[in-house]
Amino acid sequence: MRRRLSTWGIRFALLAFMILALGPIVWGLITSFTPTSALTQTPPDLSLESFTLDNYVDVLVSRGNLPDALFDSAVVATLTASLSLVLGSAAAYALARLKVPGSNKILLAVLATQMFPGIVIAIPLFIVYSQFRPLGYSLIDTHLGLSLTYLSFTLVVVIWILKGFFESIPPQLERAAAVDGASTFQTFRLVVLPISLPVLFATGVFAFIEAWNEFFFAIILTRVDVKTVPIAIAEFSGQYRTLYGEMLAAAVLASIPVVLLAIIFRRFIVKGFVEGAVKG
Amino acid sequence: MAPALLVLLGVLAYPIGASLLLGFQDATIAGGGVTSEWIGLGNYERMLSDPTFAIALRNSLYFTFVEVIAVVIISLAVALLLNHLGNRSGFFVVILLIPWALAPVANAVLWKWIYNANYGILNTVLLQLGLIDQKVVWLGDPFLALNMMLIADSWKAVPFITLLLLAGLQNVPSQLYRAARVDGASTWARFRHVTLPGLRVPILVAVVLQSIWALKVFDLVFVLTKGGPMDGTVVLNFLAWRVTFNFLDLGYGAAIANVLFGIMFILALIYVRALDPDRKRRRPAAE
Repeated sequence: MRRRLSTWGIRFALLAFMILALGPIVWGLITSFTPTSALTQTPPDLSLESFTLDNYVDVLVSRGNLPDALFDSAVVATLTASLSLVLGSAAAYALARLKVPGSNKILLAVLATQMFPGIVIAIPLFIVYSQFRPLGYSLIDTHLGLSLTYLSFTLVVVIWILKGFFESIPPQLERAAAVDGASTFQTFRLVVLPISLPVLFATGVFAFIEAWNEFFFAIILTRVDVKTVPIAIAEFSGQYRTLYGEMLAAAVLASIPVVLLAIIFRRFIVKGFVEGAVKG
Repeated sequence: MAPALLVLLGVLAYPIGASLLLGFQDATIAGGGVTSEWIGLGNYERMLSDPTFAIALRNSLYFTFVEVIAVVIISLAVALLLNHLGNRSGFFVVILLIPWALAPVANAVLWKWIYNANYGILNTVLLQLGLIDQKVVWLGDPFLALNMMLIADSWKAVPFITLLLLAGLQNVPSQLYRAARVDGASTWARFRHVTLPGLRVPILVAVVLQSIWALKVFDLVFVLTKGGPMDGTVVLNFLAWRVTFNFLDLGYGAAIANVLFGIMFILALIYVRALDPDRKRRRPAAE
């Protein structure tokens, strides 16, 4: 009897958890498929007849800058992920293999840098980006400028995850390559990198998600030419008359890529990132 | 190694140093250029008598304190629940990943719509249930708005902390539970004497990480309230941004940012000390 009671208790708790976790998301999805006129009735008209794709058509075709924003976000996020991997894999390999003195401590220090408030970095970078014009261009309002800034929070995590992975590769593999006369760089390029591709890709996905979702630096360092998705969504909410259906449709479109990536790479995210946070 | 170090110097070390120096200057943007003048501790003295700074500090501390406690307790409950399911927890882990992966701005507009005073689902549901008898303007009262912001932020924060604690729970050796059961320990005693001690490090990490994230909250303030009503939801991060980029008072903005930085730096030190591998290795020898 007691056992049955606890089974029901667990079922009830799971149900409550599902409702609380998914309720807001489901409501957001429903909103995005409902015309604003139906949403602003009391009670809202949620019958199947009011189902519509108009909100999506509006944000993607008729008006707004969402398509451009999706493009800008894709460029910035891809650039950030690529730069993080190219710079981070070399640094991580060095830390893992080349016996840098006190590399455990370095990594903890690096991890601590993760915890700086963005505003501390943003104000000086804003000044530098606006005044520094090497070829007559400033980095303000450019994909590159934003991606470089994003390295401040992606690069350290990428180094940290990859170092852990490189340490798990048996050193015999590399010693064999060294016996065959390969230099350290050749060993890295021809032996270590090929077997690391899946992990590199998954780490890149992490950097991509972070860059795709970032808002704070974007609002400070970009203006007109580059407008990422979070900025475009926030603009909806700032309008005099908020079109909730369209705003939620934009939010759904912006979320689909990152949510899918997170679900596909869930095993890596939980193993590499979540558990890594505890192991240090 | 060297290129990565160079980039980190450029986008991390240099700006942090520059921000510290900027805090001692009276700097403004005028005509596209930055004019500045050294004023020593002037910005920090100004902070002491600035009522808005006091509000922001109070809001940040309240927000962080309550969110950390709420998120860690809820996450612990969810993690225990999912841990109980063993291998069948996979589906629920997927559900947890959705709020985690959502852009903070997408989360913010979602809650702005839920909280909407006229058409929001929160008012509709509470009216139907008879819990309120008229529509509440959730973001209209300073303290209420801050708390509504807390709920929206916690909803997004719980998944990561849950996954973190779940990973910690799976590391607690099952022999300990079996031994405790053999000794006749009750469910509560097993939780109190096996689970909680086993989760010491994960909980500490969760507290520190969540404090840092709560202190950094910005997107939600920007979308939901822009700091209002009556500065009721102005937090340090938002104030530093507003002073710098709306009032163009770079020096004072940097000084506020530096105070936030100081608070977070102390938390980061705690995190690093908790995880320091040398310290962990030393401990068993000392016992």
